[in-house]
Amino acid sequence: MTPSPPALSLRGVRKVYSSAAAPVVAVDGIDLTVEAGEIVAVLGPNGAGKTTTLDMVLGLIAPTEGTVEVLGGTPETAARGGRVSAVLQSGGLLRDLTVGETVLAIAALHGAQGRMAVVMERAGVTDLARRKVRACSGGEQQRLRFALALLPDPQVLVLDEPTAGMDVGARRSFWETMHEETRDGRTVLFATHYLEEAQAFAPRTVLIDHGRILADGPTAQLRGLVGDRTVLATVPGAADGVLDRLRAVPGVREVHREGERVTVNGTSSDDVARILLTELGGHDLEIAAPTLESAFLALTGEGDGE
Amino acid sequence: MNATYLRIDLVRQLRDGMYISFVIALPVVMYVLFGTAFGASADAVGRGDTRFYVMTAMAAYGASIAATSIAASAAMELLQGWGRQLALTPLRPPGFVATKVVVALVVSAVGALAVTVVGAATGARVTEPWVWLATFLVTWLGSSIFALYGLVIAQLFHSESAIGVASASLVVWAFFGNLFVPLSGTVQQIARWTPMYGYAGLARWPQMQGHSVTSTHVDPMWTLVLNWVAWVAVFAVLAMWATRRGRARQ
Repeated sequence: MTPSPPALSLRGVRKVYSSAAAPVVAVDGIDLTVEAGEIVAVLGPNGAGKTTTLDMVLGLIAPTEGTVEVLGGTPETAARGGRVSAVLQSGGLLRDLTVGETVLAIAALHGAQGRMAVVMERAGVTDLARRKVRACSGGEQQRLRFALALLPDPQVLVLDEPTAGMDVGARRSFWETMHEETRDGRTVLFATHYLEEAQAFAPRTVLIDHGRILADGPTAQLRGLVGDRTVLATVPGAADGVLDRLRAVPGVREVHREGERVTVNGTSSDDVARILLTELGGHDLEIAAPTLESAFLALTGEGDGE
Repeated sequence: MNATYLRIDLVRQLRDGMYISFVIALPVVMYVLFGTAFGASADAVGRGDTRFYVMTAMAAYGASIAATSIAASAAMELLQGWGRQLALTPLRPPGFVATKVVVALVVSAVGALAVTVVGAATGARVTEPWVWLATFLVTWLGSSIFALYGLVIAQLFHSESAIGVASASLVVWAFFGNLFVPLSGTVQQIARWTPMYGYAGLARWPQMQGHSVTSTHVDPMWTLVLNWVAWVAVFAVLAMWATRRGRARQ
């Protein structure tokens, strides 16, 4: 038995747009392999090359250099066959169709009318079937795009900032639906700049900026790249002696206090916590991991004038 | 091409009330104005009369507007990123173009039929009944060339201004196509190379057999057919190229 090809394989992919002034390098050499069933977040600021990368995965644009393979074949073949589908960032809908007509139109092209009812139910657009697309809210339109993406029962689902324009509640319910979809072993690649979405949903995160991959690994490990934890505790009668004791712990970089509230930054959060609770009689202990945002800022060189 | 997709696209066009009344009403009003002005006397022209001659011209113009203004929907679809959505389905660019041509044909049939019905009701006459049917069929089917033309303009301009460009340029082609003022001399020799000339000459063939109203110039059928076929080929190639281009990110 031959091993099944990876869901996605990008090798030395570059995309250069010609422009009047100077060529714009949108993607500058990306190597990425995503195995079947993986859920990967592509994290980066606006203009990092996220959408261009996803468009190449979908066969919507061709790379200037390098190769893109989806399920062992070309992206175009996979897209036409419905093995890869996408929730596109914006647009992609005809405003004067109803939600039901939109689903039917795309379903008919895929020969997937049989899946319409279940897909509309899953995406939560069944009740919107008779409503014109132009009368739908941003979140409702996004749910419709999601329904369209599910129609061909794709093995690989690409989401380009799927929750852009949604309020917090809509975002949460969208990701709850997504969790259900991935139980079937679908591969999911999603671009986002909501850092908490990568943290909450993707075991693996690819950090990109200026068209290059800055980091690629388990999302939890990525957070660890920054390393520091912040430990906070209330220490009754805290004085400078307490701070000195904490500074003596190996791995501690910074200690300060406001009244009785002591804050310790460093890599040795377990040791610090033990000492605070047992030796120093502290209470109301909190340990905070760094957010991806701080990891991201550290990796992209915050303070470089940006 | 997909029948269900075609039906949805068609219904979408036909329920746009303003669009339809524009496509139907404008040529009918123009026929009534021109037909009354030029066709007050029942002069015999070829196998019909002046009213029939003007009626054919306006039916052709109406069918062409109908076909061209499908450009409006195509432009809007692209603006709204629908081409990217379709690129993720088995529908290929030739299928998209074919679907739009069929939608344009149905809408242009409505446009041409409206002028023809009003013509019949207001006294347009021919010497042999088959001229009615032949004229309508050529006018209707021949207008498919302007569905392609509209697609080209729409996909090149990528904005709502495409509608204006397409409509405005159609007036120029209609002038050179001999639809408004009977051409003669050098202007007619230049006009023979323009996209509407072949179509208009063929639409009038059942009545005029290539003869002009005001000049002695006679167009053989093969030059009219060649004009139409050549421009269909040019527009088809441009439309496919522009559709592919439209799939890239906007």
